[in-house]
Amino acid sequence: MQVSLMITCICDVFASNVGKDSVELLEKLGCEVDFPTNQTCCGQPAFNSGYLEDSKKAMKQMMKAFVHSKYVVCPSGSCAGMVKEYPKIFKGDPVWEPRAKKLANKTYEITQFIVNVLGIEDVGATFNKRVTYHPSCHMTRILGVKEEPMKLLKNIKDIDFVELPIKEDCCGFGGTFAVKNEAISTAMAHEKAEHVLETEAEYLAGGDMACLMNIGGLMEREGKQVKIAHITEILNAGMNE
Amino acid sequence: MSIKIGNEKYDERVEEGLDNDFMRQAVSSAQGRFRSGKQKQADELGNWEDWRTLGSEIRTHTLENLDYYLQILSDNVEKRGGKVFFAQTAEEANEYIQNVVKEKEAKKVVKAKSMVTEEIGLNDALADIGSEVVETDLGEWILQLDEDPPSHIVTPALHKNKEQIQETFHNKRGYEGSDTPEDLGLFAREQLRKDFLSADVGITGCNFAVAESGAITFVTNEGNARLATSLPDTQISVMGMERLVPTWEELDVLVSLLTRAAVGQKLTSYVTSITGTRLAGETDGPEEYHLVIVDNGRSKILGTEFQSALHCIRCAACINVCPVYRHVGGHAYGSIYPGPIGAVLTPLLDGYEDHKELPYASSLCGACTEACPVKIPLHEQLIRHREIIADEEKDTPIPEKALMKGFAKWASTPTAYKMSAAMARTAMKPWSKDEKIENGPGPMKGWTNSRNFPAPSETSFRSWFKHRKKEEEVK
Amino acid sequence: MTIQNRDAFLENVASHLGRNRRTEGVERPKWSIQPQFDVFKDHSKDEMVDELEAICDVIHTDMKRTTKQNLHKTLHETFTDLNGKTVIASSDNRNVEFGLDTFYKNFESSGGHVHLWNEDMEEENGLVAERADIGIVFSDITLAESGTTVLFNNKYNGRAISLLPHSYVALIPKSTIVPRMTQATKMIHERNLAGDDVASCVSFVTGPSNSADIEMKLIVGVHGPVTATYILIEDA
Repeated sequence: MQVSLMITCICDVFASNVGKDSVELLEKLGCEVDFPTNQTCCGQPAFNSGYLEDSKKAMKQMMKAFVHSKYVVCPSGSCAGMVKEYPKIFKGDPVWEPRAKKLANKTYEITQFIVNVLGIEDVGATFNKRVTYHPSCHMTRILGVKEEPMKLLKNIKDIDFVELPIKEDCCGFGGTFAVKNEAISTAMAHEKAEHVLETEAEYLAGGDMACLMNIGGLMEREGKQVKIAHITEILNAGMNE
Repeated sequence: MSIKIGNEKYDERVEEGLDNDFMRQAVSSAQGRFRSGKQKQADELGNWEDWRTLGSEIRTHTLENLDYYLQILSDNVEKRGGKVFFAQTAEEANEYIQNVVKEKEAKKVVKAKSMVTEEIGLNDALADIGSEVVETDLGEWILQLDEDPPSHIVTPALHKNKEQIQETFHNKRGYEGSDTPEDLGLFAREQLRKDFLSADVGITGCNFAVAESGAITFVTNEGNARLATSLPDTQISVMGMERLVPTWEELDVLVSLLTRAAVGQKLTSYVTSITGTRLAGETDGPEEYHLVIVDNGRSKILGTEFQSALHCIRCAACINVCPVYRHVGGHAYGSIYPGPIGAVLTPLLDGYEDHKELPYASSLCGACTEACPVKIPLHEQLIRHREIIADEEKDTPIPEKALMKGFAKWASTPTAYKMSAAMARTAMKPWSKDEKIENGPGPMKGWTNSRNFPAPSETSFRSWFKHRKKEEEVK
Repeated sequence: MTIQNRDAFLENVASHLGRNRRTEGVERPKWSIQPQFDVFKDHSKDEMVDELEAICDVIHTDMKRTTKQNLHKTLHETFTDLNGKTVIASSDNRNVEFGLDTFYKNFESSGGHVHLWNEDMEEENGLVAERADIGIVFSDITLAESGTTVLFNNKYNGRAISLLPHSYVALIPKSTIVPRMTQATKMIHERNLAGDDVASCVSFVTGPSNSADIEMKLIVGVHGPVTATYILIEDA
């Protein structure tokens, strides 16, 4: 199956390993992965800050970049969720609304794609660590992906999975919120980090790198030993080649 | 008091909230209880989403035909002996109520908790004419004695602890009892019972008016609205103009949603619907009844993308799930309407000028939207506010505007994007150490003051992918 | 002038809604979904009584089951438990049907005091209600789901009876039980359509008065009654 990877700007620059793990994982599951190089950013930073017209420029670029793709797979619930909002944003635009719908319809967050399109719930991975999982807000509430990552994680061999208390709470990232309302954002990250520490997990997994960078960045600053891992990293670990 | 509370700047209010450990603990545990209560009710019903859909349909239809239903409502109140006053502004509403109170030569007015009367500043208006106003909701009474604004729309004194309340009762009313909630509550009962029996006028808000029969419904647990509508000879209900339903059948649905979403109860202790004046032979209930229907900026919201904000039934479910509210508390919003709904409504009712930070006081996590029993897309409306502030009000800081213009250029020009991705590691080198940034430049400081940020990866993904492809081709 | 400023106000509302004012012809739409009718849809009266009993634990209400024949005994026990000396009661036409007239006579002759709400005794109604130990009324409709007694207050059943006394006692004929608020409001809606005036006060009373305004701790008995007792009477 031919799939195009939507890497997201954050992973492209700051967490390239997530892209590598995504590619390897999808290939092991039988996909042929391409990477349309004209992709940029989904537009969310500007959109959520209220710069609609600026954000639309980014969105149009993404629609162009993926025009030939059959499936678009993205290792971020938040960015995939943003793409799903494109049709609403371009509603009434005769040129771009149809293109927005096309892209939205073929875009999947990676766990959603593996479980719902490929029909795989056990990727055959082995991970012998204590892991907890933060379900990011946009992935669960905007994209509506809740069960898929849990199914995949729980089927990993040897994993010691532990549920995160009050997992549905936001970590405080929120894009520009993290710098504009720095003190509140930090308080939220603190609370989230405390819940992570309660689990005594060695790894905090998640489906959105930005949230993990927020929680992980705080824990690291405070000398905590918990590692962060994008879910693809764990799914790609020790997989049968 | 009006919508705006206090004169402190946003940053100061937030800091005060974050520094108030008791309040944060109290809010956090209250949120936990509210949430589990609501969840339990939703689980028991098993089809909560269907209920939300119905609630949203009812609110949408009612708002779209608001003029029609308000006409029916006022006709029916009139038929039952009530007087109806339509107030375009807070001033008009207050003046009308002042006149009623003056005409009755009322010395004492008892009030049941009402957000709309807070909004129009009714208590001050009545104080201006020398009338004693007694708030009778326990939480509101505590705040009134302490001259403190509410911090939550359902449990207004959430930010206070029992020791503080004991002290207030002692200082203001000579209370000598213990600090247990039971004793404090009993004292309030005794004190307020006297007020109820001696009041000339009762003033309430309105949870829902029923257009088809002119009934005004109050939802309480304490019973204070029942007392305020049963004992005084003159009764005034003040309602925000959107707080009505077509018929009793819709009242059922919205009350069911309200009590579950607000306090996790199937119904509160008292749901009371009063219609006009007492009938012949009745010896309690008002002899004179007034309904004041308040616009105060609401009509401006109609016909805009914010119309659904008027669907709000003041349950505070959004407030109870909001992580921002949990950390800063209600007063940080600087509005009698705090939390997500407050951040949406306050700028609409009171302008952006004093409240332009509120739409940004959200991580856009969407918990509010998910919690709302009548499906107001709260986080989307916060984004819409940001758009207006950014595009129309020209009110955002200049660097942000330039930044976003730059973003648009960058994200719509693949060559520029690719180049920056390739350059990022080098560009961030001065601030990077051991693959992390601990003290970032410019706007990044807000992040790195408390959190590390990763340094750009040694090889960007796209360059890894490109080289990998080439290697494969060589193979 | 009983309605003031209406036209200007409603014209303004209509103009913001972007259309002419609507004064007639608005129909309620058929809602896409009506989950409220599904609650306890196939419950028998007995099953609903069980639900009522279960919810009484949650709403801090003591529920007793009795029959018409044993009602006197149950009431006697209840009044004794509540230490009720002064009682205010509605002048309900069901008083005779359920034998309350004789019960009250007996109660008075054994030293108690009963005041029946009387439309000609405005002052005394209020005074007795305020100092009564017990206020006792019949439930007009009873909601199994929430444990709610629905009272149509009128000149025989003043608002104060169920509000001012220390203890609230509701007599619940089993025949008054319906699944939930839906059936009660539907009934009111239909009567209103038929031209019957709705009671000047419809009280949905669920257990005793309470508050959680101080540190979220539940206090039972704030402004209204401190205790609530439901007496379910088999009347079939």
